[in-house]
Amino acid sequence: MESRLLRVDLTTGEMRAETLPHALFERWVGGSGINNWLMWEHFLKHDIHCDPRSPDNVFVFGVGPLAGTGSGSGVKGRITFKSPSYGIFGDSAAGGKFPYMVRFAGFDHIVVTGRAPRPVYLYICDGNAVLCDASHLWGRSTGETHTLLQQELGDYPSHAHTLTIGVSGENLVGMSGVISDASRIHARGGGGCVMGSKNLKAIAVQGSGSIKVHNPQGMLKWSADFRRRIDANEAIYGFKRRGTLGAVEMYQHIGSHFWRNNQGCLFRGDEVRSDNWVRKYHKYSEVCSADCFIACDGRYKLDGSESPKAAKYAGESFRRPEYLTTASAAGALDVRDWAEVAHWGKVTNEYGMDNQDLSCSISFLMELKEKDLISDREVAELFGRPQRLEWGNMEDIEACIHDMATRSNLFAELFNDGPYWGALRYSQRMGRNFMKYATYGKGGASFTEEMRPFPTWMNNMAVASRGADHLKGIGLIEKFQRRDLSKRYFNGRTEAADLTIPDLKGASTALIENQVALINSYGVCLFHWMLDPAGFAPEEYYQPAFTEVTGIARTPAELMRDGERICNLEKAFNSRLGLRREHDTICERWMYEPTTEGMYPGSVAANMFETVLDEYYDWRGWDRTTGLQRRDRLEALGLGDVAEVLATEGALARD
Amino acid sequence: MSNLPQKELVTGQQWYAPDTDIPDVHEKLYALQNQCTDCNICEIACSLVHSPEGELNPLLSRIRISHAPSVNSRKAAHGFGFVSAICHHCGNPPPCAEVCPVDAFYYDPKTNVAVIAQDKCIQCMECVPACPFDVVFVAPDGELLKCDLCGGEPACVEACATRPEMNNAGKQYTRAPVLFHADAKAFRSVMQQKPEKRDEVGMMQAMLERGEISSSA
Amino acid sequence: MVRIHTQYQSRFREITGIPGETFELEQPLVSELAWKIAGKYGPRMESLLIDRETNELNERGTMYVDSKGRRVYMEDKLADGETIAFLIGIAGG
Repeated sequence: MESRLLRVDLTTGEMRAETLPHALFERWVGGSGINNWLMWEHFLKHDIHCDPRSPDNVFVFGVGPLAGTGSGSGVKGRITFKSPSYGIFGDSAAGGKFPYMVRFAGFDHIVVTGRAPRPVYLYICDGNAVLCDASHLWGRSTGETHTLLQQELGDYPSHAHTLTIGVSGENLVGMSGVISDASRIHARGGGGCVMGSKNLKAIAVQGSGSIKVHNPQGMLKWSADFRRRIDANEAIYGFKRRGTLGAVEMYQHIGSHFWRNNQGCLFRGDEVRSDNWVRKYHKYSEVCSADCFIACDGRYKLDGSESPKAAKYAGESFRRPEYLTTASAAGALDVRDWAEVAHWGKVTNEYGMDNQDLSCSISFLMELKEKDLISDREVAELFGRPQRLEWGNMEDIEACIHDMATRSNLFAELFNDGPYWGALRYSQRMGRNFMKYATYGKGGASFTEEMRPFPTWMNNMAVASRGADHLKGIGLIEKFQRRDLSKRYFNGRTEAADLTIPDLKGASTALIENQVALINSYGVCLFHWMLDPAGFAPEEYYQPAFTEVTGIARTPAELMRDGERICNLEKAFNSRLGLRREHDTICERWMYEPTTEGMYPGSVAANMFETVLDEYYDWRGWDRTTGLQRRDRLEALGLGDVAEVLATEGALARD
Repeated sequence: MSNLPQKELVTGQQWYAPDTDIPDVHEKLYALQNQCTDCNICEIACSLVHSPEGELNPLLSRIRISHAPSVNSRKAAHGFGFVSAICHHCGNPPPCAEVCPVDAFYYDPKTNVAVIAQDKCIQCMECVPACPFDVVFVAPDGELLKCDLCGGEPACVEACATRPEMNNAGKQYTRAPVLFHADAKAFRSVMQQKPEKRDEVGMMQAMLERGEISSSA
Repeated sequence: MVRIHTQYQSRFREITGIPGETFELEQPLVSELAWKIAGKYGPRMESLLIDRETNELNERGTMYVDSKGRRVYMEDKLADGETIAFLIGIAGG
């Protein structure tokens, strides 16, 4: 396995292609693993404590070896950077055809450093790269930018695919994401802000090159078998039609939604349900990013008759909302009409912003307003105009989205790094403590799902390397109450599936973080694994595919160690930044405020939080007191060099 | 069989005399465009099976299917585009083979399909504009690409990811790929029905029941 | 004899065509309910609901919960009047 890396220094305009050696794939698998390593290397030479919005930050894009090889498990690109909104490790994945086309254009990874003197876009075609003037794209929405670039570049030698930022990224709004192919967002962490700080409006690719597969016949055989296993699972056909929207019903039953800034955990009203979406809005075939056997994505076009509010948006067409788009609108902001939820998804995407940080910032203020903790005059001061801040009022909300993207008032200045930093700055400014109404986890990142009755999830929110998030160690065993999986991974013990006790919850996080790191490094989609058509163990069923594509022989146990190695590098990055046990925490509301509804009313995270965190550190082999890594464990993972760096900076646990 | 005078064509092993009766191709590829999910796996599989070195590239594929809501492609009334370019395997002589100055086309006796002998082809590209459906493609390296049905078992059909259901609640159900290899006459007979009776899923159900297409799922 | 209510959602509703119904069971067991539903709606429902290898409920990509949100298993006993929801199990997004 060999692939190419493009290094771009925007300050000097210098570009260089390098070959990534086979050994790098043996150590870091590919995709997010190699991305992490490239960023680690960058920050050995540059100040890791730099301002993430400065030219010293790095922006890494990468795809894994299985992406676009006919594996049928989707294609996910990954961006890695130091997060401007949370100030720690940041990365984010998205699909679309961009990551697929990057490979045909000749590169698997792109490292962007420096800052361009004026707005540019990076154009890559068949092994060549050039920086082009982007002044005509500056100020445009992500969709317009994508269309203009496609017009500009034409269809030769292939369709053009793009990675763009919207107005919010240009304005260095911390919660800005990067949009892949106009509709799929690398949302978390503020990648769009990093691109904006580099004056990089877009990356466009066209390619007619080939991907080399070690054993094509073997790969074809593997993928035919994988497809048969997927097809044989009847549940997949429910997922194909509605994607992650299926979670709406499930969460309503187990009380896992995030309602009105998490004052509740169930949606109100009957409209926002996946069955209603399928019945009224699902008019076109499912579509997928590329190379996917499931195709859970869909497109809608409103004719205005679907719901009471739809008439306002008649003619609007976009991608179908995902669960977290829905959770942030229908949950956090209590929008009860599907057309408005879809519109929320479209608008935030056009500006290029993370739904969750944005909705939690707005819902935080809505709650303050609802509880009369801030006056109309104070709201008007914040927004520079009278603002109603009513739950579910889409006009109101849309005005807030616009403010944030254009960074046009005090609200945007205070809250552009998400609800934690926003609440903190606002509390300081007002001289009153509003922190108990802010919902956030590690790094100040917000998350729009209830986690108080779900110990693995609360643990995820506290330990995820990129700040509060479920996609690093998603607690499936527990949320689906899968006793079979608990037995399989923990020697016949069923505790991991029991929500009422803390046992094996930290262990589940550690286990699943390794599996997720592996999947992300393959460059494929997480959902093929989550739907479990092939037995939940990605280290087993992707193992032959990895070997057919790269020629690297691995046992499933070795692959799990690869996953652990990747997770440990992310941890090491954060340790260098000074993160310790006390930073692995969640907000006051989740920690101490009891739930009032759902599966286990009266749940607070504090009951189990420390026990689960201790167990997580134990399974990771990290020090309980400081949360730092130990030298012996790092050396056992082949990370002696990383341990050395940590030791010199005092970020290694003492023996 | 056409009444036009036929050119001399070659198979791998045997020559066809000008008056040889070459049967029409009955089994062709069809795609149900409203069910396709634009995953490109058919193109990937096509390029993989035709490349002994394991080169994977949609531009080396012999079929092209793409949803292209891009500005440069034609759009359907609902605003989303769809382009499918699949060889029609024209009756004899196929226009692509007819214009070939070096007789690089031969017939695969197994499928009756015209195939390009790459060792004879001089890449003059005469066949590209000759194709009435624009489905002879030029690879980035100049190689001419025409569907050969993989000798009867098309890899694209095997790889097709989307399998709509052919069923009503409670009825015996099955699934078939969106891209399928079917008998042309049977396909035509269904397609000639009135549009309101001609929903593709129902059509495929009928064809599956008659064994005219196969379902590997 | 117990009466058990069912709620079908997403994939389950597509197959059954109804949002829910009531079953009368001889034995108050999930297994009896599952096989009754599978028998009523045919092989597609059976393959969605029951893992034929283990004869357990199919756990892959599905979720079956009682009115308190707890997952039910084949051997679980059901109380009279209980409601079981049949869902597609997916998290995140």
